[in-house]
Amino acid sequence: MNELKQICKDVLTEKKARLIIGYSEDKNKRVKPFIARTPEDAEKLVFNHHAVNNLAVYISRFKNNFEGKIGIVVKGCDLKAVTALIQESQVKREDLYIIGVNCSGVVRDIDQEFSKDNSQIKCKYCQTKTPPYFDAIAEESKEFELTDDDQQELMAKIEKMSAEERLDFWNEQFEKCIKCYACRQVCPMCYCEQCIAEKSEPQWIDSSATARGNFAWNTIRAFHMAGRCIGCHECERACPMDIPLTLLTRKMGMVASSEFGYRPGMSIDEPTLIGSYSTSDKEDFIK
Amino acid sequence: MNLYTPELVEIKDIIDETPDIRTFRLQFKDPERMKNFAFKAGQFAEYSVFGEGECTFCIASSPTRPEFLECSFKFAGKVTNAMTKLNVGDTMGLRGPYGNSFPIEQMKGKNVVFIAGGIGLAPVRCIIWNVLDLRDQFKDITIIYGARTVGDLVYKNELEDWKKMAGVKTVVTVDPGGETPDWKGEVGFVPTIVEKVAPASKDTVAIICGPPIMIKYTFPVLEKLGFEEDNVITTLENRMKCGLGKCGRCNIGSVYVCKDGPVFSYKELKALPQEY
Amino acid sequence: MEELIISTENFKKIVQELLDKEFKVIGIPEGENKYQEITDGNKLSLHPEAAPTNSSFKGYFFPKSEPIFFYKQNHSSVDLFDPIEDKKGIVVIGAKPCDASALPIISKVFNWDYKDDLFNKRYDSSLIIGMSCHYKDDYCFCVSTKGSPENTKGSDVFLTSLENNYFKVAAITPKGNSFIKEYAKYFEKDGKKYKPVERKEAIPEHFNYEKVKTWLDNNFENEFWDTAGEMCLGCAQCAFVCPTCHCFDIVDEQCSSCEGRRAKNWDACQFSLFTKHASGHNPRDNQEKRYRQRISHKFKYYKDKFDEILCTGCGRCARGCPVSLDILQVVEDINALAEKS
Repeated sequence: MNELKQICKDVLTEKKARLIIGYSEDKNKRVKPFIARTPEDAEKLVFNHHAVNNLAVYISRFKNNFEGKIGIVVKGCDLKAVTALIQESQVKREDLYIIGVNCSGVVRDIDQEFSKDNSQIKCKYCQTKTPPYFDAIAEESKEFELTDDDQQELMAKIEKMSAEERLDFWNEQFEKCIKCYACRQVCPMCYCEQCIAEKSEPQWIDSSATARGNFAWNTIRAFHMAGRCIGCHECERACPMDIPLTLLTRKMGMVASSEFGYRPGMSIDEPTLIGSYSTSDKEDFIK
Repeated sequence: MNLYTPELVEIKDIIDETPDIRTFRLQFKDPERMKNFAFKAGQFAEYSVFGEGECTFCIASSPTRPEFLECSFKFAGKVTNAMTKLNVGDTMGLRGPYGNSFPIEQMKGKNVVFIAGGIGLAPVRCIIWNVLDLRDQFKDITIIYGARTVGDLVYKNELEDWKKMAGVKTVVTVDPGGETPDWKGEVGFVPTIVEKVAPASKDTVAIICGPPIMIKYTFPVLEKLGFEEDNVITTLENRMKCGLGKCGRCNIGSVYVCKDGPVFSYKELKALPQEY
Repeated sequence: MEELIISTENFKKIVQELLDKEFKVIGIPEGENKYQEITDGNKLSLHPEAAPTNSSFKGYFFPKSEPIFFYKQNHSSVDLFDPIEDKKGIVVIGAKPCDASALPIISKVFNWDYKDDLFNKRYDSSLIIGMSCHYKDDYCFCVSTKGSPENTKGSDVFLTSLENNYFKVAAITPKGNSFIKEYAKYFEKDGKKYKPVERKEAIPEHFNYEKVKTWLDNNFENEFWDTAGEMCLGCAQCAFVCPTCHCFDIVDEQCSSCEGRRAKNWDACQFSLFTKHASGHNPRDNQEKRYRQRISHKFKYYKDKFDEILCTGCGRCARGCPVSLDILQVVEDINALAEKS
């Protein structure tokens, strides 16, 4: 932790970045996003198993505010979001000062200690304990056992359902939705200045939290994540109604990978799936 | 029926004021309702286009002329654009009247200056006609109105009527660059023309409505001319939804524009958080 | 007035009778921590030591989306139809004081001159059975908002935890009195039979409301607001789980080419479009201003207008916020600023 604080202090003292988006601990020991603007602020920066938030979501909010680089503390999974934003031309690599942290997992239940059982689903199959690129790196690497990914079991169960059963399953889940848009606001890839849900001429998606409005919103958002979602699982964490959103986004990611060999957020120079055309693209789904 | 259910009105006449402003003349489908609908100048209503939504406009006609309820609107968003597709004979909804009204009793026996810009003339028009219909209860009347260009002036016929009235000083202006070769009125922004006309401030009430920037620059002119803050009255156009003080959308500080307003004095406005 | 007590077992029998009489019973089922419609009296839980639920029960009185009317267009005319009323009376069982006290607070705005009958029809025919609370965590601050874990405001009947899974029962309102009379056979008159369960820890006063209010009265432009809400992402989770947030939107939705409904939906001042005019002008055009509105509305504006604090200190917003923005810490910071000046 001292290493991270020192790195950040130096970055701010030497003005390598105008601010650093990082984590701090409040007086209830809850770890939350925090903006460090001065070397004194940098003293408050922390990183531990409770640093769950994907801070890349703040890049779109701060990028136009001033001259100079945005510093950001990223875990391996968060860095994929940064990479995806660069791939989609939302920010330039040279406008960021990336402070990577080696991570050995983050909690699921924030009120409990971190453990194998109290870790995010994404940690169970994580391949990026060390961020693949960065301007500075902090934290020693710790061992973390990859364990059974119980979400795969549920996904397999849903795949075996008939179309009707699947529709019933999802309708039951979406009925809970209250249209708070926490899923959208917390997602780094949802950076549209005017979301499709906010367009009123015409109103593509009902704003009401009804069966129709909820189904439209959640499925359209999932589709907008196809080939773009980097699997940080923030949407599901943010959802106050416990809707298993990552089942959808993960499924979309699996299809992008199996059908097109593409995974977002892997390399800043890679053209995006939806944003590029290749003559070798499959067309067998066009009937 | 509940408090959010509108009453049905029919479009009786449509007048194109400018390329992007239209006036509807409406009557309640129920003739009894048309007779007993009472409102005061300055109040507004929520007008429905069923299937699109509701929109807030002031009632632009005067209570002294109850044959039609009139509203004037600019084509700006979902509901107003849908209104452009409506024809004479079509049905709309109306909920109202809501809000407070211009302090006409406070104005009696005094001079009145009306200052408006662009579509801001619509909420002022109701009180202009209300005052003109009770002419002998007021002293000098001055109307200063401006728009960006000649084509953007609303109620063009009525401007001519007011110009011809004895005892009413009507000054119409367009922004510099907005005049046509045969334009005989003033050229200049409304605040500048107000300064030029320099209406007397003693025993005078000023009613002003227009785009925020026009109001922002006119207030200091009125202050300089000696107008008291209590005697400068404006009407706010905030985003409203329910119109009756519940949905929270139009709040400025502890004030609900739809219920405590939309008519406010300059003194009251200054006391509000500057967030409108 | 004699002191009445009831066993949990007998209380569940009352619930079963309510269900048989076709009341809509809302409570927390055993094994879960959310308010739901109870269909089996035995499944109801009464746990004063449980944490507040994720969301309040306001949705039963002020639904997340409800029809105002239905319309059918024919040629150039329109017919309007009222929505079908749910005639079942609502009984909420085991409401924590921070939830029960919210209803009379929001009832004030819903009855300010114009009466919101959509809300009133549900509220006026409801019965709220409150229950003293034995929970405490770092997010609870009911005491600072003039409430308390034993606050009976908003409850018609109030249950206080006794040993042996018994509850002391008190009628708070005439409605509550009628309820107790109707189910008299389930209550025991032996008020001293069991001792009350002591609360493990008291909820402290975290801030002085009067000082906070005075600071808010005078610091609209303070630089505190530049960073107080800067981490807020602008979702509406806080507003929607909150028992006192009540802002709403009105929208029209087509069901077919000529039919549709007008609906009243939950809305939130934290959304970027909340105050945006059709002209494009937005009085609250950044998240910092919107966050200032949230805190000011809850702790100042509603008090100025309706003489109520628009917050009961339940802490749900802070527990659930995706970026852990803690309303209590913000108000404590304001308190500290108020004390300095």
